[in-house]
Amino acid sequence: MRKMAKSRIREARVGLLFLSPWLIGLGVFTAYPIIASLYFSFTYYSGLSSPRWVGLDNYLQLFKDPLFWKSIYNTLYLAIIGIPLAQALSLLVALLLNTKVKFLGIFRTLYFLPSIVPAVATALLWKWFLNPQFGPVNLLLEKIGLPTPGWLTDPLWSKPALIFTSIWGVGGAMVIYLAGLQNIPAELYEAAELDGAGKLSKFSKITLPMLSPVILFNVVMGTINSFQSFTSVFIMTGGGPENSTLVYALSIYRNGFQFYKMGYASAMAWILLIMTSIAIFFVFKFFGRYGYFGGVDRS
Amino acid sequence: MKRLVVISVLLAISVFVLAKTELSFWYAWGGDEGEALLALVDEFNNSQTEIVVRPVFVPIGQGEKINTALAGSSTPDIVTIWDWMVVPLGESGALIPLNDYLDSAGIDESDYLPGAWSYGAYRGIKYGLPTTINAYAFMWNKALFEELGLDPERPPEDIEELDEYAELLFKQDSRGNIRRLGFLPNISHIYFYVFGGQLWDPETEEITANHPGNIAALDWVASYYKKFDLQKIRVFQATWGEMASPYNPFYRGQLAIQEAGQWELLFIEQFAKSDFEYGVSPFPAPEGGRDKVAYMNGSFWAIPKGSKHPEESFEFLKWLTDSGQAARFAAELSNIPPKVDAINDPVFQSKMLPNMEIYIDMLTDGYVYFFPTLPIGLYYMEELNQALQYVQSGAKTAEEALNDVQEAVNRELERYK
Repeated sequence: MRKMAKSRIREARVGLLFLSPWLIGLGVFTAYPIIASLYFSFTYYSGLSSPRWVGLDNYLQLFKDPLFWKSIYNTLYLAIIGIPLAQALSLLVALLLNTKVKFLGIFRTLYFLPSIVPAVATALLWKWFLNPQFGPVNLLLEKIGLPTPGWLTDPLWSKPALIFTSIWGVGGAMVIYLAGLQNIPAELYEAAELDGAGKLSKFSKITLPMLSPVILFNVVMGTINSFQSFTSVFIMTGGGPENSTLVYALSIYRNGFQFYKMGYASAMAWILLIMTSIAIFFVFKFFGRYGYFGGVDRS
Repeated sequence: MKRLVVISVLLAISVFVLAKTELSFWYAWGGDEGEALLALVDEFNNSQTEIVVRPVFVPIGQGEKINTALAGSSTPDIVTIWDWMVVPLGESGALIPLNDYLDSAGIDESDYLPGAWSYGAYRGIKYGLPTTINAYAFMWNKALFEELGLDPERPPEDIEELDEYAELLFKQDSRGNIRRLGFLPNISHIYFYVFGGQLWDPETEEITANHPGNIAALDWVASYYKKFDLQKIRVFQATWGEMASPYNPFYRGQLAIQEAGQWELLFIEQFAKSDFEYGVSPFPAPEGGRDKVAYMNGSFWAIPKGSKHPEESFEFLKWLTDSGQAARFAAELSNIPPKVDAINDPVFQSKMLPNMEIYIDMLTDGYVYFFPTLPIGLYYMEELNQALQYVQSGAKTAEEALNDVQEAVNRELERYK
């Protein structure tokens, strides 16, 4: 008995030793900054000099800052319209690519390709595509007689334009859906067909429930990514026009690194964490009620 | 035996090299400008045996990389930073104050252009030395003036006339798309000063965002964005090419009158058609306003607190900002050296582009100002941009908007006291 315990301890020690590069990395580069930023959020801190404790002042100032509310509005707008749209589209593409058509491999590659392109390159490309007077998008719209909006230069259209560009990258979620679809046992469909189920009821009674763990995963990842989106906005609009694309992460960056308000930016980061957690909580609640997890109750 | 000789020679060389003080110098320019600076560094390294400067190219970008480096401990000995970074970094203890070094080197205010001495200083403490100076002036396209029957040699006399010209030169197509803008005020605070206002009081170092002159100016700036329709202006601006290219909107005739930094002189020389003719003058001012307002900006050289050899670093900076070197460097960049001697230096004078003398006259004889180098300068600037948006959209009056800026910036400044 004692001997067993000893070998266990040794095993644990060796295990931890092997893990230590990662553990140290986690501690130094993730855990410590997170805890430090919680502390900084209660201080005035320029990012350079020593922080000065001010209690809740940063949080109180935040609630009075019109740009804070604007950035929350922008972020939620992009999330609430962008996430369902992206999920629906990637699922649709996955369904199409799960059928038996010719050149399936080529199609799958083509749809996945955009998500390999680096975010910066994608953003620069779209910036040019959406140029109001020279961009191919507006040239096409003009040809077929549709109005040509200013896209990234018009506060009314800038957010839809960003959602539009983000949809270009649905390939990532699509691949995961595709894998999920192929995991659904074929006999379920066979049984349903024998009972006379149509295409639509097969989709709603078998495909969707069987996919719900995958959908949950994609929605959670999509929510987190959407709340943290930075690169595309930073490059395409820089937050403009009229702060219509000032998303939350960009606002944190500007406060922390350009306005030298690191304490304030830390407070914003913590509010982002709380907002994301609340959003994820509701996502889980929703899936717990409507999703199917092989009989396991997730609510 | 032979080997022993080689080894001892190598040892001797390394001892000799080690004896020199090495300075790491973060510079921020690529291309021709970088080459010009590197040539100067080489010259310095060869001119003496004590110090070796090792230049490292660190693009200045958004500044966060340098901020983070200076907040940490692995800092260079000399760094190149934007003007808005100097005081925030200095006030939080990341830069070495240069006052004592300057005093003992006998360098003082009289060596510099008016205003350039307090630029980058806060409450008397100098945290950096300006590398070169940029200035802005009023610039117009002579051919377009002629086309519309205006005197191509004479800029508008006052603000009313400028407004008339702007409308006259404005052109749109049958569908309401802008084809040419007469004029568009771009940097609002230039007109704060033109209208007799100011961003701060240099004597008391207090913010004066809601100065009556500023309010009048902001109203006037916003009137352009209302009159010519902000949305249409944006769509039109999206068709403008890069400034440093043949597609620059000014010499392509998309913008008839502009406020432009002196670098535009170089761009016109390089990229405009050879028959392009333009005029340069100080900004026209309203009655009771200020004539010859010169807005200067630029970048700085500074010595971080973490520098292991601050004295040697200053020695190098002193050499680099010395009139002869400053003149050569500025001439290469089509910038203006911050020192009076350097401007009069034959090297700079001989390389001066046409119309540069107007900029220099504005800087030496005009009302020179810079965006106040405060611990939160960029925040102040951003608040002013916000204010313009509020006024132009009608959400606030200019007075309300600027009162709000005054309050917000003062509140932030209070945190640094």
